[in-house]
Amino acid sequence: MALLETRNLSKSFGGLQAINNVSLKVEPNTVHGLIGPNGSGKSTFFNLLTGVYQPDAGSYIEFDNINVTGKPAHYIAEHGLSRTFQLLRLYGELSVLDNVLVGYHPHTKYSPFAPFFNGAEVRRQDKIVKDEMFELLEFIGLAEHAEIPAAELSGGQRRLLALGRAIAMRPKMLLLDEPGAGLSPVNVDNLMATIMTLKERYKLTIVVVEHILKVVMSTCDTISVLDHGQKISEGTPEFVKNDPAVIEAYLGREMADEDIRAAMDA
Amino acid sequence: MGILSFMADFIDSLAKRHRLLPWLLAYALLLPLPFVLTILFNEYLIDLANRICLFILLAVGLNIVKGFCGQVTVGHIGLYAIGAVTSAVLSLEPGGFGGALGFGWPIWAAIPTAVLVTAFAGLIIGLPSVRLEGAYLALATLGLGESVRIFIAVTPALGSSTGLMMIPAPRIGSFVFDSFTSYYYLVMTAAITGIYFSFSILRSATGRAFQAIREDTIAASVNGINVVKYKLLAFVLSAIYAGLAGALFAHMPPGYLHHNNFTVIEMVTLLLMVVLGGIGNVWGGVIGAIVVAIAYDQTKDLVFYFMDRPIVFQPLVFGLSMVLLVLFMPRGIGGWIEDFQRNRRFVRRSEERLSGTARNP
Repeated sequence: MALLETRNLSKSFGGLQAINNVSLKVEPNTVHGLIGPNGSGKSTFFNLLTGVYQPDAGSYIEFDNINVTGKPAHYIAEHGLSRTFQLLRLYGELSVLDNVLVGYHPHTKYSPFAPFFNGAEVRRQDKIVKDEMFELLEFIGLAEHAEIPAAELSGGQRRLLALGRAIAMRPKMLLLDEPGAGLSPVNVDNLMATIMTLKERYKLTIVVVEHILKVVMSTCDTISVLDHGQKISEGTPEFVKNDPAVIEAYLGREMADEDIRAAMDA
Repeated sequence: MGILSFMADFIDSLAKRHRLLPWLLAYALLLPLPFVLTILFNEYLIDLANRICLFILLAVGLNIVKGFCGQVTVGHIGLYAIGAVTSAVLSLEPGGFGGALGFGWPIWAAIPTAVLVTAFAGLIIGLPSVRLEGAYLALATLGLGESVRIFIAVTPALGSSTGLMMIPAPRIGSFVFDSFTSYYYLVMTAAITGIYFSFSILRSATGRAFQAIREDTIAASVNGINVVKYKLLAFVLSAIYAGLAGALFAHMPPGYLHHNNFTVIEMVTLLLMVVLGGIGNVWGGVIGAIVVAIAYDQTKDLVFYFMDRPIVFQPLVFGLSMVLLVLFMPRGIGGWIEDFQRNRRFVRRSEERLSGTARNP
């Protein structure tokens, strides 16, 4: 049974068909890659899944056996779908610890008015949650920066924090939007290793958008390829790598076979 | 810095014994203020202190919606007006002076009702925030806030141009809060309690949700925060503060209410307090309220004569200082407070790391 399923998912902005009839299934406990040239609709696809954008009529999205089509973002998040952003969107002025605490928000048990009427209960629960979040920070290696504002972290630390914040909500599925963007090859490898450990530790299903093909090829169980808003290929990394439609989308028709291999392996 | 660090250390050590100790100490220190003011200056200053307490309530409330949640509202003074007029009208005797409405409710029923009515009005003033942002939201809330004042100004039942008079003073048993000094204890208690609860909100999941919305609305919604609900909640909470301040203002001696207390100029003064204090910083807002209220009071009679015509230049000075503040001190007094606190934390953590006793915060 697929954890996430889209049927005929479409989204147009005015005259531009950003996503066109994409049907996709993501199986539980897998790493599912989503690749495609710039502007092929990968980020829009994520925004549709997480409720940041509303899909066009006729689309259907099912997550964990619930129809989440057209539902608001917080509703989808509450049901266990978490994501990171390409541009991170951290809460810059909030401390590192507060950033992950916000990530935990859907599990808050007290009412928003509790600080007025039941301060003791708020403090008791927050203490437990803070210890738990501190453990998470220790795990991703940011514990010693827990109290500084997120904006003052280095680039690599910010990427880790974005990951930590997404995991803090204990999601069933995690969507990663270009986790390795802007990192050196060594750092990308480290980050992917961290992601895979997190996947095991928290029993996650992961969908990852990534431009660095080496990363995608080595970590994904299944890969879907988007081009101009349409799904043009899907399968194992080996299958996708050799699919003429994919090669054409990325490199055009003219290039020789060896050049393509070289580009894929780079 | 030496004295400040010493004070901060002292407050920390008190807080370690019991969370409420620093608050009780502050309360105890503020108790003799009316007598000090009477001996050193004059009794009028107690009235100023009372109004400062109300301004603190207003500024702390405004800070919730503007500072924590990042929603620009200029309608706060309208909520203050609603709280004041509601409580006044509910508690006035029927058939009052000049056709004013009166329901003759007991004051301790009128004030909570006024707070609830204001909270509801806050919900309505907050509705534009669902669709609007920044300057557009400011315009919408300005319109709503100012229309409240105009409505009061043209409605005889609510006082219109003469204002509401003989608004009764609160009483407990046979003790009546009808002097500046006795009323001081009422508003000072309200102000301290208001500041305390504002921190409780800030340090709970509710406060974190507000700040997440301020920092990045899209990220907040993806983190499972119902953005519409929390924006409206921020408006409602700030309206509760404004409603309480308004109700306490209505019953303050001499028990007189006029719509001139709710003009846009008052709103600008209030904004000045929050901006001077540093947007989002509670203590900054409190200090801002004290400084601006005193400056406002001491400069309001200043005039200079241009070709024998008197010119009141206070509004000019206040407008100009607002511009200068935003240009040269955008983080306000709160910015200094935050820098100071962060330095202290940094020093403390470095010491802990050196001595190998680093701990979970």
